[in-house]
Amino acid sequence: MLGQVLFSGLALGSIYGLVALGFAVIFKATEVFNFAQGMFVVCGAYFAVTAISLLGLPFPLAILFIIGAAALMGVLIHVFLIQPLSGRPMLSVIMLTIALSIAIRALIEIVFGPQGRTLTTPMPTGIIMLGQLRISQLHLTAALVSWACMAGFGAFFRYTSVGLLMRATADGHEAALVSGINVNVMNRLAWAIGCALAAVGGLFLGQLQIASTELESIGLLALPAVVIGGMQSIPGAIVGGLLVGIIEQLAASYISPKSSDIVIYMLLLLILMVRPWGLFGQRELGRV
Amino acid sequence: MNPISTPGSQAAGRWRRWAWPALGVALLCYLPVVLTERAAFGVALSNMQLLNLGLTQINLMLIAMLGALSLNYLTGCAGLISIGHAAFYATGAMTAAITGTQWGWPFPLVLLASGVMGAAMGLLAGLPSLRVRGLYFVLSTMAVHFLVVYVFLEYQFKFFDVVGVPYNPAKLGPLELNTPTRWYFFLLPLVALIYLGLSSSLRAREGRVLMAMRDHELAATAAGVDVRILRLKAFGLSSAIAAMAGALFAHYLTNVTSEAFGISFAIQFIAMIIIGGMGSLAGSLVGAALWLLLPSVISGFASQASGSTGIVRLLLVENRAQLVQLIFGMLVIVFLIFAPGGVAGLGRQIRERFGSKGGR
Repeated sequence: MLGQVLFSGLALGSIYGLVALGFAVIFKATEVFNFAQGMFVVCGAYFAVTAISLLGLPFPLAILFIIGAAALMGVLIHVFLIQPLSGRPMLSVIMLTIALSIAIRALIEIVFGPQGRTLTTPMPTGIIMLGQLRISQLHLTAALVSWACMAGFGAFFRYTSVGLLMRATADGHEAALVSGINVNVMNRLAWAIGCALAAVGGLFLGQLQIASTELESIGLLALPAVVIGGMQSIPGAIVGGLLVGIIEQLAASYISPKSSDIVIYMLLLLILMVRPWGLFGQRELGRV
Repeated sequence: MNPISTPGSQAAGRWRRWAWPALGVALLCYLPVVLTERAAFGVALSNMQLLNLGLTQINLMLIAMLGALSLNYLTGCAGLISIGHAAFYATGAMTAAITGTQWGWPFPLVLLASGVMGAAMGLLAGLPSLRVRGLYFVLSTMAVHFLVVYVFLEYQFKFFDVVGVPYNPAKLGPLELNTPTRWYFFLLPLVALIYLGLSSSLRAREGRVLMAMRDHELAATAAGVDVRILRLKAFGLSSAIAAMAGALFAHYLTNVTSEAFGISFAIQFIAMIIIGGMGSLAGSLVGAALWLLLPSVISGFASQASGSTGIVRLLLVENRAQLVQLIFGMLVIVFLIFAPGGVAGLGRQIRERFGSKGGR
């Protein structure tokens, strides 16, 4: 039983890790705490519904559509909403992302209707028996794909020149500008990546549950994940996501299903009081 | 050019200074009559002319003004960003339920108890500010919000039912607040009192110290201000007002569930102070008014458009609630990008542009 819970926790946690990774990329690059990340997850689920049910695309094309649409959305958001607000106080930017999530949610409900839509994909949905554990193939697929994405982006950031440029921009905007890096393009790339990662997470969550705007609250769990792991740390986001997934499943099984979110937020509060820079983050030094 | 000041013109100036507020008060007192009888000075007014407003919306707006004022005091004036404001509403509602519905205390005492519990909750919520700043603190307010609402949910299910927590009718001594008009005349002076109290506190040393802390904490500390105590005090006061507003809200609706206090409830207060203008108390009144009244106006348009077809029908009739949300989301975005000072900032700009022409 415990193994079961741990496994589903790891699987869900991989999805959270993916969304949290997208969040961390956006935060590292543009220092925007993107409260709309949960909504981006929902967008991913609805892009999937559009591609598969409405447009009837074959699955590989549908995946490309989802990623492309999400990346485009991320770029547009940065160009029209985030860039005009650069240099503004933090509350403005936070409130902008919150207002954005409200507007997107309303738009989705107007276009698709307030009820959720089932998402059918050719992904395997059976159960594999591994000894005593019943492993859902969907969970396994989600976990494997999430890990592949995370590893892929890790490699992208470490080994490609574009990844290097992005890391340089995230470390210091002025220095990057002076070195001739087009900071705006790097930021847009970061937003595109962050959005696309959330969308992939939405694809899986939509399949695991149902494509509806209620997925936002699940996507929002990526926020505590990032804080617990350490906001400026990419591996921290992933570890945070895994932890959140495991703890959520443990709480849902052993305490009560309603309490799973609360346990996460209590943990968040605890971390903020004890070690606010997270498990992998670095202590921030303030300038006078 | 300064006009020569004569006793006659001085008296005229004094009279003019009182005339406008007196007119305003008179209008405010006549408003409930207009709204309940749907006629002004004997002339009947259609629904659309009254912007599809009823006294209920006005009363809810007054209660929301309390929330907006307290949040603006905390965020706009003291610089403490909190997205958990709904938690204090919930605290007030829960205290009101315990003391009023379960213990049977009279209404004024219930309000007082809500205020005290709200202040205590505010102090607790402000404690993380001693440890973390900025973004991390915002997250702690979010966590506090979810925790408090969860406690309310558990309380609701343990003592009452899924239908919600009931409230006794509000009674001020022998007078029972059972009509919207009575609620209006109770809420209006309350809002005015709190507004005047907060704005005079902001003009005094206490308020200036608060704004100094908001603008540059280190400099304020160097000037001898104990920012930690100040932060806790600001939180306590703001949460006390919000908790009282929550108790009033619960009594007005006579029944609340924990869903009423979701995170979108908290977010709407931030939207109000952004639209109204952060740091401007008068602005938060405008923001609250806009927020509460716009849905009614849109509903009014919707009922007019019920005959039309196509996208207008889709937007206005079938998805009215979503349309309101969409408009508000976009309104906040537009304000943030183009008018960061909110309505108050716009008002200031207009006054500067037209005031300077007259000269002093």
